[in-house]
Amino acid sequence: MVKRSPLFNLQKTLGARFTEFAGFEMPIQYSSIKEEHLTVRKTVGIFDVSHMSNVWITGPGAEKLISLTTLEDASKIENNKSQYTAILREDGTVIDDTIFMHLEDKYMMIPNAGADEIVTNWLNEKAKEHNIDALAENVSDDYVILAIQGPKSRDAIQKLTKTDIKTVGFFGCQYINLAGVDCIISHTGYTGELGFELQITPPKKAEDVFKKILEAGKDYGIRPIGLGARDTLRLEKGFILAGNEFKGGRTPLEAVMSYFINWDHDFIGKDELLKQKEKGDYERLTSMICIEKGIPRQDCEIKKDGKKIGVVTSGTMSPCLNSGIAMGYVHPDYREKESIVEIMIRDKSVKAKVVRPPIVPKDWASQN
Amino acid sequence: MSNEVKSDLKYTDSHEWIKIKGKTAKVGITDHAQSELTDIVFVELPEVGKEIKKGEEICIVESVKSVTEIYAPISGKITNVNKKLEESPEIINESPYDEGWLIEIEISNNSEINDLLDSDSYKKII
Repeated sequence: MVKRSPLFNLQKTLGARFTEFAGFEMPIQYSSIKEEHLTVRKTVGIFDVSHMSNVWITGPGAEKLISLTTLEDASKIENNKSQYTAILREDGTVIDDTIFMHLEDKYMMIPNAGADEIVTNWLNEKAKEHNIDALAENVSDDYVILAIQGPKSRDAIQKLTKTDIKTVGFFGCQYINLAGVDCIISHTGYTGELGFELQITPPKKAEDVFKKILEAGKDYGIRPIGLGARDTLRLEKGFILAGNEFKGGRTPLEAVMSYFINWDHDFIGKDELLKQKEKGDYERLTSMICIEKGIPRQDCEIKKDGKKIGVVTSGTMSPCLNSGIAMGYVHPDYREKESIVEIMIRDKSVKAKVVRPPIVPKDWASQN
Repeated sequence: MSNEVKSDLKYTDSHEWIKIKGKTAKVGITDHAQSELTDIVFVELPEVGKEIKKGEEICIVESVKSVTEIYAPISGKITNVNKKLEESPEIINESPYDEGWLIEIEISNNSEINDLLDSDSYKKII
Protein backbone atom coordinates (compact mmCIF):
# COMPACT_ATOMS: atom_id res chain seq x y z
CA MET A 1 0.00 0.00 0.00
CA VAL A 2 1.38 3.37 -1.03
CA LYS A 3 1.12 5.89 1.81
CA ARG A 4 0.12 9.49 1.40
CA SER A 5 1.10 12.46 3.50
CA PRO A 6 -1.72 14.05 5.52
CA LEU A 7 -0.92 17.14 3.41
CA PHE A 8 -1.71 15.40 0.10
CA ASN A 9 -4.89 17.35 -0.63
CA LEU A 10 -3.33 20.70 0.22
CA GLN A 11 -0.36 19.88 -2.00
CA LYS A 12 -2.68 18.98 -4.83
CA THR A 13 -4.40 22.35 -4.61
CA LEU A 14 -0.94 23.97 -4.64
CA GLY A 15 -0.28 22.35 -8.01
CA ALA A 16 1.96 19.48 -6.93
CA ARG A 17 2.84 16.63 -9.25
CA PHE A 18 3.38 13.44 -7.33
CA THR A 19 5.84 10.58 -7.45
CA GLU A 20 6.27 7.39 -5.49
CA PHE A 21 9.32 7.36 -3.26
CA ALA A 22 10.08 4.60 -0.74
CA GLY A 23 6.42 3.64 -0.49
CA PHE A 24 5.08 7.20 -0.27
CA GLU A 25 3.26 9.28 -2.83
CA MET A 26 4.96 12.64 -2.38
CA PRO A 27 5.19 15.87 -4.40
CA ILE A 28 8.10 15.71 -6.84
CA GLN A 29 7.60 19.31 -7.91
CA TYR A 30 5.07 22.13 -7.83
CA SER A 31 6.30 24.53 -10.52
CA SER A 32 9.73 23.60 -11.79
CA ILE A 33 12.58 21.77 -10.09
CA LYS A 34 15.04 24.44 -11.22
CA GLU A 35 12.92 27.31 -9.90
CA GLU A 36 12.22 25.53 -6.63
CA HIS A 37 15.90 24.73 -6.24
CA LEU A 38 16.99 28.34 -6.76
CA THR A 39 14.26 29.60 -4.42
CA VAL A 40 15.79 27.57 -1.58
CA ARG A 41 19.31 28.75 -2.41
CA LYS A 42 18.25 32.40 -2.58
CA THR A 43 15.30 32.88 -0.19
CA VAL A 44 13.19 30.17 1.44
CA GLY A 45 11.17 27.07 0.64
CA ILE A 46 8.98 24.68 2.61
CA PHE A 47 9.11 20.90 2.19
CA ASP A 48 6.83 18.19 3.48
CA VAL A 49 9.19 15.36 4.39
CA SER A 50 6.68 13.17 6.20
CA HIS A 51 8.02 10.16 4.33
CA MET A 52 10.97 10.28 6.71
CA SER A 53 10.55 8.10 9.81
CA ASN A 54 10.15 8.89 13.50
CA VAL A 55 11.30 6.54 16.23
CA TRP A 56 11.19 7.36 19.95
CA ILE A 57 13.93 5.73 22.01
CA THR A 58 13.03 5.72 25.69
CA GLY A 59 14.00 4.08 28.96
CA PRO A 60 16.99 4.33 31.30
CA GLY A 61 19.21 2.61 28.73
CA ALA A 62 18.28 4.83 25.75
CA GLU A 63 21.66 6.59 25.65
CA LYS A 64 23.49 3.27 25.91
CA LEU A 65 21.43 1.73 23.12
CA ILE A 66 22.16 4.62 20.74
CA SER A 67 25.86 4.47 21.55
CA LEU A 68 25.93 0.72 20.88
CA THR A 69 24.08 0.95 17.58
CA THR A 70 25.47 4.14 16.02
CA LEU A 71 28.81 5.79 15.20
CA GLU A 72 28.17 8.31 17.96
CA ASP A 73 28.77 8.17 21.69
CA ALA A 74 25.36 9.47 22.74
CA SER A 75 26.66 10.54 26.17
CA LYS A 76 28.52 13.34 24.37
CA ILE A 77 25.31 14.73 22.89
CA GLU A 78 23.80 17.16 25.37
CA ASN A 79 20.13 17.77 25.95
CA ASN A 80 18.60 19.85 23.11
CA LYS A 81 21.29 18.80 20.66
CA SER A 82 20.91 16.55 17.65
CA GLN A 83 23.49 14.48 15.84
CA TYR A 84 23.89 13.01 12.36
CA THR A 85 25.11 9.42 12.47
CA ALA A 86 24.71 5.94 10.97
CA ILE A 87 23.56 2.52 12.16
CA LEU A 88 25.79 -0.36 11.06
CA ARG A 89 25.51 -4.10 10.66
CA GLU A 90 28.16 -6.26 12.33
CA ASP A 91 30.06 -6.31 9.01
CA GLY A 92 30.43 -2.51 9.11
CA THR A 93 27.99 -1.74 6.29
CA VAL A 94 25.34 0.91 6.82
CA ILE A 95 21.74 -0.05 7.60
CA ASP A 96 20.68 3.58 7.59
CA ASP A 97 21.99 7.07 8.21
CA THR A 98 19.95 9.09 10.62
CA ILE A 99 19.70 12.04 12.95
CA PHE A 100 18.86 11.60 16.60
CA MET A 101 17.63 14.38 18.85
CA HIS A 102 18.26 14.46 22.59
CA LEU A 103 15.03 15.74 24.14
CA GLU A 104 15.26 15.60 27.93
CA ASP A 105 15.02 11.96 29.03
CA LYS A 106 14.39 10.51 25.59
CA TYR A 107 15.63 10.54 22.05
CA MET A 108 13.86 10.89 18.75
CA MET A 109 15.54 9.25 15.80
CA ILE A 110 14.72 10.18 12.18
CA PRO A 111 15.53 7.17 9.97
CA ASN A 112 15.06 7.39 6.22
CA ALA A 113 11.79 6.85 4.40
CA GLY A 114 10.82 3.20 4.53
CA ALA A 115 13.53 2.35 7.09
CA ASP A 116 11.24 2.75 10.11
CA GLU A 117 10.52 -0.94 10.71
CA ILE A 118 14.05 -2.12 9.97
CA VAL A 119 15.60 0.41 12.35
CA THR A 120 13.02 -0.06 15.11
CA ASN A 121 13.36 -3.83 15.02
CA TRP A 122 17.15 -3.64 14.90
CA LEU A 123 17.29 -1.35 17.95
CA ASN A 124 14.92 -3.53 19.97
CA GLU A 125 16.80 -6.72 19.01
CA LYS A 126 20.11 -5.19 20.07
CA ALA A 127 18.62 -3.90 23.33
CA LYS A 128 17.49 -7.44 24.10
CA GLU A 129 20.80 -9.07 23.07
CA HIS A 130 22.82 -6.68 25.21
CA ASN A 131 20.39 -6.49 28.14
CA ILE A 132 19.80 -2.78 27.73
CA ASP A 133 16.67 -1.35 29.33
CA ALA A 134 15.44 0.75 26.41
CA LEU A 135 12.57 0.69 23.96
CA ALA A 136 12.41 1.84 20.34
CA GLU A 137 8.93 2.76 19.21
CA ASN A 138 8.02 3.42 15.58
CA VAL A 139 5.81 6.53 15.64
CA SER A 140 6.27 7.51 11.98
CA ASP A 141 2.54 7.62 11.30
CA ASP A 142 2.01 10.01 14.21
CA TYR A 143 4.23 12.78 12.84
CA VAL A 144 4.35 15.17 9.94
CA ILE A 145 7.80 16.58 9.25
CA LEU A 146 8.16 19.99 7.64
CA ALA A 147 11.49 21.44 6.52
CA ILE A 148 11.86 25.19 6.09
CA GLN A 149 15.11 25.85 4.27
CA GLY A 150 16.93 28.80 2.79
CA PRO A 151 18.63 32.03 3.88
CA LYS A 152 15.25 33.56 4.85
CA SER A 153 13.92 30.49 6.68
CA ARG A 154 14.63 31.89 10.13
CA ASP A 155 13.01 35.25 9.37
CA ALA A 156 9.92 33.52 8.00
CA ILE A 157 9.22 31.22 10.94
CA GLN A 158 10.27 33.80 13.54
CA LYS A 159 6.99 35.58 12.77
CA LEU A 160 5.09 32.55 14.05
CA THR A 161 6.66 32.08 17.49
CA LYS A 162 7.59 33.96 20.65
CA THR A 163 10.74 31.87 21.05
CA ASP A 164 13.84 33.61 19.70
CA ILE A 165 14.82 31.17 16.95
CA LYS A 166 18.39 32.49 17.02
CA THR A 167 18.73 30.63 20.33
CA VAL A 168 18.26 27.34 18.46
CA GLY A 169 21.88 26.79 17.43
CA PHE A 170 23.17 24.64 14.58
CA PHE A 171 21.96 21.09 15.23
CA GLY A 172 20.05 22.36 18.24
CA CYS A 173 16.59 20.92 18.94
CA GLN A 174 13.85 21.74 21.40
CA TYR A 175 10.14 21.85 22.05
CA ILE A 176 8.54 25.00 20.71
CA ASN A 177 5.13 26.56 20.14
CA LEU A 178 5.06 27.66 16.52
CA ALA A 179 2.04 28.71 14.49
CA GLY A 180 -0.03 27.88 17.54
CA VAL A 181 1.12 24.28 17.68
CA ASP A 182 3.42 22.54 20.17
CA CYS A 183 6.07 20.75 18.17
CA ILE A 184 9.77 19.95 18.01
CA ILE A 185 12.09 22.27 16.10
CA SER A 186 15.63 21.44 15.03
CA HIS A 187 18.21 23.56 13.25
CA THR A 188 18.86 20.86 10.65
CA GLY A 189 18.21 20.17 7.00
CA TYR A 190 19.28 18.53 3.77
CA THR A 191 19.93 21.53 1.55
CA GLY A 192 23.17 23.03 2.86
CA GLU A 193 21.33 26.30 3.59
CA LEU A 194 20.19 27.82 6.85
CA GLY A 195 17.19 25.72 7.75
CA PHE A 196 14.89 24.19 10.31
CA GLU A 197 12.78 21.07 10.62
CA LEU A 198 9.55 20.66 12.55
CA GLN A 199 8.13 17.44 13.98
CA ILE A 200 4.38 17.90 14.29
CA THR A 201 1.93 15.62 16.06
CA PRO A 202 -0.89 14.77 15.61
CA PRO A 203 -0.63 14.92 11.80
CA LYS A 204 -3.93 16.78 11.39
CA LYS A 205 -2.35 19.90 12.92
CA ALA A 206 0.24 20.11 10.15
CA GLU A 207 -1.90 21.55 7.36
CA ASP A 208 -2.56 24.73 9.28
CA VAL A 209 1.15 25.08 10.14
CA PHE A 210 2.11 24.57 6.49
CA LYS A 211 -0.35 27.28 5.40
CA LYS A 212 0.79 29.72 8.09
CA ILE A 213 4.43 29.27 7.09
CA LEU A 214 3.56 29.90 3.43
CA GLU A 215 1.81 33.09 4.54
CA ALA A 216 4.68 34.16 6.83
CA GLY A 217 7.19 33.64 4.03
CA LYS A 218 5.16 35.42 1.37
CA ASP A 219 7.27 38.58 1.49
CA TYR A 220 10.39 36.51 0.82
CA GLY A 221 8.83 34.68 -2.13
CA ILE A 222 8.50 31.37 -0.29
CA ARG A 223 7.49 28.36 -2.39
CA PRO A 224 6.49 24.81 -1.56
CA ILE A 225 9.31 22.53 -2.71
CA GLY A 226 9.09 18.95 -3.98
CA LEU A 227 11.39 15.97 -3.70
CA GLY A 228 12.96 16.75 -7.08
CA ALA A 229 14.63 19.90 -5.79
CA ARG A 230 15.32 18.23 -2.45
CA ASP A 231 17.49 15.75 -4.37
CA THR A 232 19.33 18.33 -6.48
CA LEU A 233 19.89 20.56 -3.42
CA ARG A 234 21.45 17.75 -1.39
CA LEU A 235 23.56 16.49 -4.27
CA GLU A 236 25.08 19.94 -4.84
CA LYS A 237 26.26 19.78 -1.22
CA GLY A 238 27.55 16.22 -1.42
CA PHE A 239 24.99 14.91 1.08
CA ILE A 240 24.28 11.20 1.03
CA LEU A 241 20.94 9.70 -0.03
CA ALA A 242 20.79 6.32 1.72
CA GLY A 243 18.93 4.49 -1.06
CA ASN A 244 21.58 5.56 -3.58
CA GLU A 245 24.88 5.85 -1.72
CA PHE A 246 24.49 2.87 0.62
CA LYS A 247 22.93 0.57 -1.98
CA GLY A 248 24.58 -2.83 -2.07
CA GLY A 249 26.27 -2.36 1.32
CA ARG A 250 28.79 0.41 1.95
CA THR A 251 30.69 1.30 5.10
CA PRO A 252 30.91 4.82 6.58
CA LEU A 253 34.62 4.85 5.64
CA GLU A 254 33.72 4.24 2.01
CA ALA A 255 31.03 6.92 2.27
CA VAL A 256 33.70 9.33 3.63
CA MET A 257 31.86 9.82 6.93
CA SER A 258 35.04 9.61 9.05
CA TYR A 259 34.14 12.93 10.65
CA PHE A 260 31.06 11.28 12.17
CA ILE A 261 32.82 8.20 13.53
CA ASN A 262 33.50 8.47 17.24
CA TRP A 263 36.26 5.85 17.66
CA ASP A 264 36.41 6.34 21.45
CA HIS A 265 33.42 4.12 22.11
CA ASP A 266 32.36 0.60 21.20
CA PHE A 267 29.66 0.17 18.61
CA ILE A 268 28.33 -2.55 16.36
CA GLY A 269 30.46 -2.76 13.21
CA LYS A 270 33.52 -1.04 14.75
CA ASP A 271 35.84 -4.07 14.46
CA GLU A 272 35.23 -4.38 10.73
CA LEU A 273 35.71 -0.64 10.24
CA LEU A 274 39.06 -0.80 12.03
CA LYS A 275 40.16 -3.62 9.73
CA GLN A 276 39.08 -1.72 6.65
CA LYS A 277 40.81 1.45 7.85
CA GLU A 278 44.02 -0.52 8.40
CA LYS A 279 43.90 -1.97 4.88
CA GLY A 280 43.05 1.40 3.38
CA ASP A 281 42.43 0.22 -0.18
CA TYR A 282 38.67 0.73 -0.24
CA GLU A 283 36.70 2.79 -2.77
CA ARG A 284 35.60 6.20 -1.53
CA LEU A 285 32.60 8.33 -2.28
CA THR A 286 33.76 11.09 -4.61
CA SER A 287 32.14 14.23 -5.98
CA MET A 288 32.56 15.26 -9.60
CA ILE A 289 31.61 18.16 -11.89
CA CYS A 290 31.32 17.49 -15.63
CA ILE A 291 33.54 19.71 -17.74
CA GLU A 292 31.88 18.46 -20.94
CA LYS A 293 28.17 18.36 -21.80
CA GLY A 294 26.19 15.50 -20.32
CA ILE A 295 24.24 14.49 -17.24
CA PRO A 296 25.60 11.56 -15.24
CA ARG A 297 22.99 9.20 -13.81
CA GLN A 298 23.04 6.36 -11.28
CA ASP A 299 25.09 3.32 -12.38
CA CYS A 300 27.14 5.17 -15.04
CA GLU A 301 30.69 3.78 -15.06
CA ILE A 302 33.60 6.02 -14.10
CA LYS A 303 36.79 5.44 -16.07
CA LYS A 304 40.37 6.64 -16.25
CA ASP A 305 42.32 6.01 -19.46
CA GLY A 306 39.66 3.52 -20.49
CA LYS A 307 39.90 1.50 -17.27
CA LYS A 308 36.93 1.24 -14.90
CA ILE A 309 37.71 2.99 -11.61
CA GLY A 310 34.24 3.44 -10.14
CA VAL A 311 30.51 3.89 -10.52
CA VAL A 312 28.09 6.79 -10.16
CA THR A 313 25.58 6.50 -7.29
CA SER A 314 23.81 9.86 -7.82
CA GLY A 315 23.91 12.30 -10.72
CA THR A 316 21.94 15.25 -11.99
CA MET A 317 22.12 18.57 -13.77
CA SER A 318 23.12 21.14 -11.16
CA PRO A 319 20.62 24.02 -11.30
CA CYS A 320 23.22 26.36 -9.75
CA LEU A 321 26.18 25.42 -11.95
CA ASN A 322 24.24 24.42 -15.07
CA SER A 323 26.59 21.44 -15.46
CA GLY A 324 26.27 17.76 -14.83
CA ILE A 325 27.35 16.75 -11.32
CA ALA A 326 27.75 13.36 -9.72
CA MET A 327 28.75 11.35 -6.70
CA GLY A 328 30.13 7.89 -6.97
CA TYR A 329 32.50 5.36 -5.49
CA VAL A 330 36.00 5.68 -6.93
CA HIS A 331 39.18 3.66 -6.45
CA PRO A 332 41.43 5.48 -3.93
CA ASP A 333 44.24 6.04 -6.46
CA TYR A 334 42.08 8.10 -8.82
CA ARG A 335 40.24 10.61 -6.65
CA GLU A 336 42.81 13.31 -6.13
CA LYS A 337 41.27 16.80 -6.13
CA GLU A 338 41.17 18.39 -9.60
CA SER A 339 42.01 15.14 -11.38
CA ILE A 340 40.04 14.37 -14.53
CA VAL A 341 37.98 11.21 -14.91
CA GLU A 342 35.59 10.01 -17.62
CA ILE A 343 31.95 9.24 -16.89
CA MET A 344 30.33 6.87 -19.39
CA ILE A 345 26.92 8.24 -20.37
CA ARG A 346 25.17 6.02 -22.98
CA ASP A 347 28.52 4.79 -24.42
CA LYS A 348 29.89 8.33 -24.66
CA SER A 349 32.70 9.43 -22.42
CA VAL A 350 32.11 12.75 -20.65
CA LYS A 351 35.05 14.32 -18.83
CA ALA A 352 34.53 15.30 -15.21
CA LYS A 353 36.69 16.95 -12.58
CA VAL A 354 37.05 15.49 -9.10
CA VAL A 355 36.11 17.99 -6.41
CA ARG A 356 35.68 17.93 -2.65
CA PRO A 357 32.16 18.60 -1.38
CA PRO A 358 30.29 20.84 -1.24
CA ILE A 359 30.11 20.83 -5.06
CA VAL A 360 28.32 24.20 -4.85
CA PRO A 361 29.98 26.47 -2.26
CA LYS A 362 28.18 28.01 0.70
CA ASP A 363 28.29 31.57 -0.66
CA TRP A 364 26.94 30.66 -4.10
CA ALA A 365 23.70 32.67 -3.76
CA SER A 366 25.42 35.87 -2.67
CA GLN A 367 27.69 35.71 -5.71
CA ASN A 368 25.03 34.86 -8.28
CA MET B 1 -0.38 21.50 -17.45
CA SER B 2 -0.35 22.62 -21.04
CA ASN B 3 -1.79 20.52 -23.85
CA GLU B 4 -1.88 22.49 -27.09
CA VAL B 5 -2.38 20.38 -30.22
CA LYS B 6 -1.94 21.94 -33.67
CA SER B 7 -4.33 20.88 -36.39
CA ASP B 8 -1.81 21.12 -39.24
CA LEU B 9 0.58 18.56 -37.74
CA LYS B 10 0.76 14.76 -37.59
CA TYR B 11 1.46 12.92 -34.33
CA THR B 12 2.61 9.65 -32.79
CA ASP B 13 1.31 7.96 -29.66
CA SER B 14 4.78 8.49 -28.16
CA HIS B 15 4.17 12.28 -28.30
CA GLU B 16 6.26 13.33 -31.28
CA TRP B 17 4.83 15.79 -33.81
CA ILE B 18 5.63 15.70 -37.53
CA LYS B 19 5.29 18.52 -40.03
CA ILE B 20 5.39 17.23 -43.59
CA LYS B 21 6.50 19.52 -46.39
CA GLY B 22 7.16 17.77 -49.70
CA LYS B 23 9.75 15.05 -48.98
CA THR B 24 10.81 16.53 -45.65
CA ALA B 25 9.44 15.70 -42.20
CA LYS B 26 10.27 18.07 -39.37
CA VAL B 27 10.03 16.37 -35.97
CA GLY B 28 9.65 17.62 -32.43
CA ILE B 29 7.92 16.72 -29.18
CA THR B 30 4.41 17.89 -28.39
CA ASP B 31 3.35 20.54 -25.92
CA HIS B 32 1.90 17.78 -23.77
CA ALA B 33 5.26 15.97 -23.78
CA GLN B 34 7.31 19.03 -22.83
CA SER B 35 4.83 19.84 -20.09
CA GLU B 36 5.07 16.30 -18.69
CA LEU B 37 8.87 16.34 -18.84
CA THR B 38 9.13 19.85 -17.32
CA ASP B 39 12.49 21.70 -17.34
CA ILE B 40 14.45 20.22 -20.23
CA VAL B 41 18.13 20.57 -19.45
CA PHE B 42 19.90 18.44 -22.05
CA VAL B 43 19.30 17.21 -25.59
CA GLU B 44 21.42 14.67 -27.44
CA LEU B 45 20.92 14.94 -31.21
CA PRO B 46 21.82 12.44 -33.93
CA GLU B 47 24.34 13.06 -36.71
CA VAL B 48 23.19 14.62 -39.96
CA GLY B 49 23.29 12.08 -42.79
CA LYS B 50 22.34 9.12 -40.62
CA GLU B 51 19.78 6.70 -42.10
CA ILE B 52 17.06 5.85 -39.62
CA LYS B 53 14.19 3.41 -39.49
CA LYS B 54 10.77 4.21 -38.08
CA GLY B 55 10.70 3.39 -34.35
CA GLU B 56 14.45 3.73 -33.83
CA GLU B 57 15.79 5.91 -31.03
CA ILE B 58 16.93 9.20 -32.58
CA CYS B 59 17.34 11.69 -29.72
CA ILE B 60 17.60 11.84 -25.97
CA VAL B 61 15.80 14.57 -24.06
CA GLU B 62 16.67 14.95 -20.39
CA SER B 63 14.94 16.88 -17.65
CA VAL B 64 16.52 17.34 -14.23
CA LYS B 65 15.16 14.00 -13.05
CA SER B 66 14.45 11.98 -16.17
CA VAL B 67 15.94 10.65 -19.39
CA THR B 68 13.52 10.23 -22.30
CA GLU B 69 14.20 8.56 -25.65
CA ILE B 70 12.64 10.08 -28.75
CA TYR B 71 11.80 7.64 -31.56
CA ALA B 72 11.82 8.19 -35.31
CA PRO B 73 8.19 8.61 -36.41
CA ILE B 74 9.15 7.84 -39.97
CA SER B 75 12.06 6.22 -41.90
CA GLY B 76 14.56 8.25 -43.87
CA LYS B 77 17.79 10.20 -43.75
CA ILE B 78 18.47 12.90 -41.19
CA THR B 79 19.11 16.10 -43.14
CA ASN B 80 19.15 18.68 -40.35
CA VAL B 81 19.25 18.91 -36.56
CA ASN B 82 18.36 21.86 -34.33
CA LYS B 83 21.86 22.76 -33.07
CA LYS B 84 20.42 25.60 -30.96
CA LEU B 85 19.10 22.98 -28.53
CA GLU B 86 22.63 21.98 -27.55
CA GLU B 87 23.17 25.36 -25.93
CA SER B 88 19.56 26.15 -24.99
CA PRO B 89 17.53 22.96 -24.46
CA GLU B 90 14.85 24.96 -22.62
CA ILE B 91 13.66 26.22 -26.03
CA ILE B 92 11.67 22.97 -26.25
CA ASN B 93 9.67 24.01 -23.16
CA GLU B 94 9.17 27.53 -24.46
CA SER B 95 8.31 26.72 -28.07
CA PRO B 96 7.73 22.99 -28.62
CA TYR B 97 6.10 23.37 -32.08
CA ASP B 98 8.32 26.06 -33.51
CA GLU B 99 11.78 27.03 -32.21
CA GLY B 100 12.05 23.77 -30.30
CA TRP B 101 11.99 21.35 -33.25
CA LEU B 102 14.49 18.46 -33.05
CA ILE B 103 15.37 17.07 -36.49
CA GLU B 104 14.45 17.02 -40.16
CA ILE B 105 14.14 13.74 -42.03
CA GLU B 106 14.12 13.14 -45.78
CA ILE B 107 11.23 10.69 -46.03
CA SER B 108 12.18 7.37 -47.65
CA ASN B 109 8.82 5.63 -47.45
CA ASN B 110 5.77 7.80 -48.09
CA SER B 111 3.33 5.07 -47.09
CA GLU B 112 4.45 5.44 -43.46
CA ILE B 113 2.77 8.84 -43.37
CA ASN B 114 -0.56 7.05 -43.31
CA ASP B 115 0.34 5.44 -39.98
CA LEU B 116 0.69 8.80 -38.23
CA LEU B 117 -2.12 10.23 -36.11
CA ASP B 118 -4.04 13.34 -37.04
CA SER B 119 -4.63 16.05 -34.44
CA ASP B 120 -8.07 14.75 -33.44
CA SER B 121 -6.75 11.23 -32.82
CA TYR B 122 -3.82 12.60 -30.82
CA LYS B 123 -6.10 14.76 -28.66
CA LYS B 124 -7.95 11.61 -27.63
CA ILE B 125 -4.84 10.00 -26.15
CA ILE B 126 -3.59 12.91 -24.06
